[in-house]
Parts: sequence; C-alpha cells; structure tokens
Amino acid sequence: MRNSFKRVYLLISVLMVVMLAACGEDDTNTSNASEKSEGPVSAKIGVISYMTGPGAAYGEAITNGFNLALDEINEKGDVKIELIIEDSAGKQDQALTVAQKLMSSDDIVALLGPTLSTEMNVVGPEADINGIPIMGTSTTAAGIPQIGEYVFRNSIPESLAIPAALEKAVNKYGAKKVAILYGNDDLFTQSGYDTMKAEAENMGLEIVTIETFQKGQSDYNAQLTKIKDLQPDLILASALYNEGAVIMDQARKMGIDLPFVGGNGFNSPQVIEIAGEASEGLIVATPWFGEKDDPKVQEFVKKYESAYGHKPDQFAAQAYDALYIMAEGLKNAGEADRDALRDALAEIKDLDGILGKFSFDEDGDVIMEPTVLIIKDGAFQQFE
Amino acid sequence: MLGVILNPYHLQIVSFILINIILGISIYITLSSGQLSLGNAGFMGIGAYTSALLTINFDLPIFLGIILGAVVAGVFGILIGIPALRLSGVYLAIATLGFGEVIRVIFVNWESITQGSIGLSGIPHLGRELFKSFQITGFDPDMLGLKNNQFIYLLVVLTLLLVNILLIWFFIRQNKSRVGRAFAAIKMDEKAAESMGINITYYKVLSFTQGAILAGFAGALYAHVMAYISPADFAYHRAVDILIFSIFGGSELIWGAIFGATFMTILPEALRFISDYRYMIYGVVLIAMMAFRPQGIIDVSLLNWFKKKLKIKRGGSLGIRTKKYN
Repeated sequence: MRNSFKRVYLLISVLMVVMLAACGEDDTNTSNASEKSEGPVSAKIGVISYMTGPGAAYGEAITNGFNLALDEINEKGDVKIELIIEDSAGKQDQALTVAQKLMSSDDIVALLGPTLSTEMNVVGPEADINGIPIMGTSTTAAGIPQIGEYVFRNSIPESLAIPAALEKAVNKYGAKKVAILYGNDDLFTQSGYDTMKAEAENMGLEIVTIETFQKGQSDYNAQLTKIKDLQPDLILASALYNEGAVIMDQARKMGIDLPFVGGNGFNSPQVIEIAGEASEGLIVATPWFGEKDDPKVQEFVKKYESAYGHKPDQFAAQAYDALYIMAEGLKNAGEADRDALRDALAEIKDLDGILGKFSFDEDGDVIMEPTVLIIKDGAFQQFE
Repeated sequence: MLGVILNPYHLQIVSFILINIILGISIYITLSSGQLSLGNAGFMGIGAYTSALLTINFDLPIFLGIILGAVVAGVFGILIGIPALRLSGVYLAIATLGFGEVIRVIFVNWESITQGSIGLSGIPHLGRELFKSFQITGFDPDMLGLKNNQFIYLLVVLTLLLVNILLIWFFIRQNKSRVGRAFAAIKMDEKAAESMGINITYYKVLSFTQGAILAGFAGALYAHVMAYISPADFAYHRAVDILIFSIFGGSELIWGAIFGATFMTILPEALRFISDYRYMIYGVVLIAMMAFRPQGIIDVSLLNWFKKKLKIKRGGSLGIRTKKYN
C-alpha cells in the first residue's frame, strides 16, 4: 500500500514537471507596460479566437480583421499595439485555459474575443474578477455585457438586430400573422428565437405556430407544410445560414412565397450561393453592409480583398472596428493600464467606424443603428 | 518563489487534467468488466446539471451538490445498467451512446429548468467558495506570497488532487480484491466466470454503476470549475474523448487511463506554438498509436519492465517481493 501511494506521488510530480516544462516558455514577467508620457502608448492585447475545428472560418475572418486594423493603427502611430493571438478550438475549457494564460501575463492590458457566446460565458466572469477589460467581437447572445463591468462587446446583439428587421418588414408588408421557425439546440439561434417571440408579441402580431429543428437537419417539409397550411404573412426564421438556406430552398419548392425575416446568423452571402433564387425575399438586419456608399467601407473592402483574396464578412468588419475601439480607448486612457483602459472604453461615444457610429451603453453593450437588408435580384440590397 | 511557479494558467491545466483523470478512470472501470460504454458523457451531464441546479436554486453547499450529482448519476447507472446487461460489445456501445444523446436532448428541451442550449451560468465556483471559507478563518494568501486568484486555483488543484489520490487508491485496492478479480474474470470469459460461481449480473451492474458514479462526480466537479455548463459540453464528442483517454493510455490498467487523460489534455496545450496544426498532430498521434500500439501505451508488460528496472536500481535490497499486477 505504501508503495502504491509512493507511485501516485511520483507520477503526479513527474507530470507536473513535464507540464511546466512543456508550456512554460513564454512567461515574460517584464513590467515595461506602463510607459507614461513618453511617446505613444504601447500595449499588448490578447486575442482568443476559434481557429481550429468546425467553426474555424469565423476565427479566420476575425483574426484577418484584427491584423488589417493593427497595421493601420500602428502606422498612424497614436498608439502602438501588439496582438497575441491564441486558439480556443471553440471549446469552453480551452478558451478558459488560454484566457488564464493571457491574463497571467502582466503586460497584457485587454482581451479581444472569444468567438462564441458559450466561451464568453466562461471567460467573461474570470476576466471580470481579474479586472482585465474583455471585448467580444462576435458574441451576440443576450446577457453577455451584463456579466460584469469589465465585459464589453461591439457585435450587435440579436435584441437590436431582429426588432429592426421585423419592424421594417411588418410595416412594408402589413403583416399580422407570423410563423416562427428556429433551431433549438444552438445558443445562437435559441437566443434569436427568444428575441423574435418577445418582439412579435410586443408588436401585437399573432404567432400562428412555433416550429423547431436541429442542427444539421436536411428535411424541413414537415414544419413547412404546417406553416403553409396556417397561412401566415411572414416567416421568422432564427437559423444559421447553412440550415437557413436549405429551409428557404424547400419552402420555395413547396410554393411558399412569403418573405423571411432572419437573425444575425442567417446573414451571409453563402445563403445566396446555396439557395440561389430561392433566397430572394430574406430580410436581415446587420451592422455590416459591404456595398454601403461610404469611402471608409469601400476602402476596407478593397484592402481586405487584396490582402486575403476574398470579400470581408460581418465578423471581419466587427473585428476591424473592435481594434479601433481598443486603440481609441488606449489613446484616451493615456497609459497601458487595465483599469484606466476599462474606464476609457466605457466612455467611448459616437466613434466612427466602418459599421457606423459606435457607443457603449452603461452595461458595455452596443448602441448602434443596424442596416436592414433584403436579398433581391441575387444580391443583398438595402431594404426600404 | 511559490508565487512565481504557481501560474493560474498552469493550475487551470492541472485541474482539467485531474478532472479528465476521473473521467478516464470512469471508463476504465466499465471496460475492466468487459463492457464498452459510451454513455459516460451522459452521466457526466447528469452529475453536472444535478449539482449545478441544486447549488444555484437551493443554495446547497458545493460538496453536498457534488456528492448528490454523483449519486443521481449512479442511480441512472443502475437503471441503465440492468437492461443494458443483455447487450454486449458494439451493441452496448450503441445503446449507451443513444442514452447519452437522449440525456443531451433532454437538457436542450427542458428549458424551464435547464435553460435549453443557453446553458446554466452563475454556478458557484469551487475555488472561490473555498476561498471565502478560508477568509472567514482569517487566512490571507499573502502569507504564502500568493495573489488571490493564484490561491483560488491552488485550492481547486489541491482539492482535486486529494480526490484523485483517494480514488486511485480505492480502485487499486478494489482491483486486488474479490471484486476486481471478478471483473477481470468476466472480462476474460463470461461463461467461464459464471460457471466458477461469479454472480455476473451483480458484478456487471456494479462496474457499470461505478463508472456512472465517477462520470457524474467528474461532471459535477467540471460544472463547479467552469462555473458555466451547456448541453453542448456533454455531446458525443465528449464520450469519444473520454474513451480515447483510456484506450490511448492502455485499457488494461488504471495507470493507462491516468496517463491517457494526462497526455491527451497536455498535448493540445503543449502544441500551442504551432497553433493551426496542433489538432492535426493530435490526430496523427492517435493514428500512430493505433497502428503501432493498439493495446495502448501502458500495458502489463511495460509496467513489469519498469518494475524490473526499478528493482535493479535498488539493488534488490527489498528482498523478496510478491508480484503485483495492478
């Protein structure tokens, strides 16, 4: 028995040593972060992004957006930022460990990310306790900025996007009866549905039916037949674009010509690619519209396309703006200090970005006017 | 000195390793009686949700919550274990995999209690609660030269370490007892074991339930270390991850599960410097292992070889020792 105890201790101590050796190389505890007054403020910002696994495309767009903004900001020279990008693989436990890694390094003044709202639910409270400002660029679920006073986001939540789209659609088509369709096994679509339902009730619309589907489902005929029989004026679909596009395709084949109102996840050029003509009539509200008649937006699109070979999406644009917000915060704070940066961030008002004029409310949530778009003639157009 | 070594990042990884070791043992126990169960993610979910809901809604102390989580998972283990006895091999694997999915779908759809896929946040954190009780006694981490959050994670790691040592000790003892011999006999040949007078029903349900209790226990600990859970945490990916811990390390010995869990948790972190390729390497390691060492890294002969080496080093001063097969 004593021997087995000994062996346990031996094993554990060996493991600890191995582990410390394996991941302890980059512990820089230098404290040159707070260089006051002289020259521009220089700061390190940690980025947690979803770069490996099924959702890697999001992480890639986000880091591309950061890198593009980083070059511009450092060229301007008001502040000097260094990004330390780490992968979370879309998993909460990895997001948390990597956040610990970034937070424990004293010269990192803020965190950007993580990509998913589920990850933010784990990382947010930890960052708040450690007193490091954290800003999500793609976390749209309800309740994220309310985690704590160090938690911010610049991605417009569903509670802002969906009502805007719904209101315009209802006014245009004079809708009275709506049907709701949503994916119930995903945080994103579930929280979109909650907003849709609340908003529809708020506007006094009659909800004729609420149908659910699961991620990766390929046949929606049962739900759509029911919706068709009930004859609503409008279909509210809280779906991610890959399922959403298939839903629209099957609906059109079945002879449902109603306009669809979607959430943030439905807003992707991929919908047009997958569903083709069937995607006509999809209405979404988005902070990002690449065809906007704004020189800033056009310049960003051009730069992004020449750097990465394809058009930027909403996630890249939000990340791009997020780093500008951080830069503005650092400039106003005047020093690379976590608390000073938090206070400076909270005071940001009407900052001009490619998404529009940006402010934080008292929780650290977004105040912004989203653009409502409709798919018409095979492209997203502004919906009037 | 202590404050420099104990980086919260490292402590966090160690605490995940320790939780994963419990999960690895949970599948090792069911495998040790020859049953391949993929339902451990489901049991883990039951433990996690039970403990989280009890501590959030009824302000139960965390330790009671964790124990109740394990107990409830164990009850489900008995309920599933008895009918599942008729199945063996892949059929049992499929049935238990189905059970895990059913549990996950229940978490998704029982919105009034589990908040659906939005998940449960605000679960009391193991370390922070322990820290609070330490503060009451007037203890200040500064006395050890530690920062508050270092101390919090140190507490988590120490608690988990203690739990792990107790569990490993218990299962090593059990392996050498009548129960362990019965498990091994059933694994070798069910019919032969039965004809030797071993009550197969009892021992199979026992090992299945032990696995369920451990998985539920690990799940409850996970919930209180993460402070947030959602049904996606307990999907079949998790079941496969858990299985890999034991299969990779070697499913014949408890040390295999421990080694597998440790190695598989460290690997993605240690490979961080090649960021984009790390999961590719993870996959390659698995394939290579299956090709060259299908029985897992640690098996009986490797352990015996180690023991021999140790003996030679000690110059045989221990004299005659009885052979051990743990």
